[in-house]
Amino acid sequence: MVALWVSVELALFVVLLILVAVAAGLVGSLTGLGGGVVVIPLLIIFFGASVPIAIGTGFVTILATSSATGAAYVRDRLSDIRIGMFLEIATVPGALLGATATVFLTHANLESVLLIALGAVLFAIIPGSLARRHIELPEPQPQDARSRYLGLTGGYHDEALGKDVTYQGARTSPALGVMFGAGIVSGMFGIGGGVFKVLALERFLNLPMKVSTATSNFMIGVTAAAGAGVMLAAGYVNPIVAAPVAIGTAFGAFLGSRVLPGLRNRTVRLLFLPVIAALAIEMVLRGLGLP
Amino acid sequence: MTSNSTPALDPPAVHRLPDAAYVRMTFVLRLGLGLALVILGGGIVAYLLANPGETSQSVLSSNPILGYLSVPGLGSGLAGGSIGAVLTLGLIVLVATPIVRVVSGLYYFRKVGERAMTAITFSVLVLLLLGLLVIGPHVR
Repeated sequence: MVALWVSVELALFVVLLILVAVAAGLVGSLTGLGGGVVVIPLLIIFFGASVPIAIGTGFVTILATSSATGAAYVRDRLSDIRIGMFLEIATVPGALLGATATVFLTHANLESVLLIALGAVLFAIIPGSLARRHIELPEPQPQDARSRYLGLTGGYHDEALGKDVTYQGARTSPALGVMFGAGIVSGMFGIGGGVFKVLALERFLNLPMKVSTATSNFMIGVTAAAGAGVMLAAGYVNPIVAAPVAIGTAFGAFLGSRVLPGLRNRTVRLLFLPVIAALAIEMVLRGLGLP
Repeated sequence: MTSNSTPALDPPAVHRLPDAAYVRMTFVLRLGLGLALVILGGGIVAYLLANPGETSQSVLSSNPILGYLSVPGLGSGLAGGSIGAVLTLGLIVLVATPIVRVVSGLYYFRKVGERAMTAITFSVLVLLLLGLLVIGPHVR
């Protein structure tokens, strides 16, 4: 028989998780991060979750964000399905490797190593992002042979610029390498690897920022599914934490996906950098055991 | 013939799957996410109602789905109306949603006769299943 009363403390815990997840989903969808980078440190710092449980929940955040925003981006033709599928051949094995490494590190009581490594990974992308923050659309680059063979080209109508934009994939080999690394990062830390995916899509494949963000959101679900399978099977996804986070994140991501098509790329990028910097500092401090 | 090192000056030809592929993938993502959220939302409400003595700390120090991570365990749990099994099902649906999207992509790349993209998408699917069915259970 179902009881008539609930634990007020636990109910408040669930409501707070939903509110935090709404914010994470909004930020995640606007930046292409997937929301995990916001949820994971907050779970550890303010909700008292262990590192592997926070990482397991991070995967849920990614899956909800990717599905919510991916649907809107695919419908609006902002996500490039062809390029996303092509690059997933690198991110998925990376995620399997990364998630397996996290399980072994957790079993070896090396959770602080995970936190410091996450901080270092986030710091690594900040300089490059600053250097390109004024670029609205990339200069055209030649396709390589693989890109031509696979037809890695596309186009969309940019509402903010008021014109049709076409693009073509450029340097696929380094893009695949970065995507493999992004897969490892995603699998290890539950953050989606969107940080690296967006950069690889912009810098190597030379895609416009909006297409990069939307395609990254489209891809991270598959990458996360690979990592989530490992973490779920290992018992590091707690549904009492994950369910409210999934609900809140999906709502926040949906809101974000409605905002993105009307935003200029510069605005998206300015939202992107402070989030990365703050979370990088927080992760390193936590990993070192500093307040 | 254009040299590999010469930047293309003309706008590139846009390669795109049929509109039906975009419609189907949008539908798959929305249906999967919606189904997962309904199951998880119902599960969390039921859990709160059925566990009035629980606290956030007790929740964080335990995991109610550990007994339902195998197919027999999940099946018997669902048959018995276990809330933990329902929550596990919601998580599985959430994880499976992008995988179904890959299957959808495989269908459309094959339908339009793109062998290279079909092979790539099929490889992604095999890797995902390998992770879920072999690597995940093994590391536990």
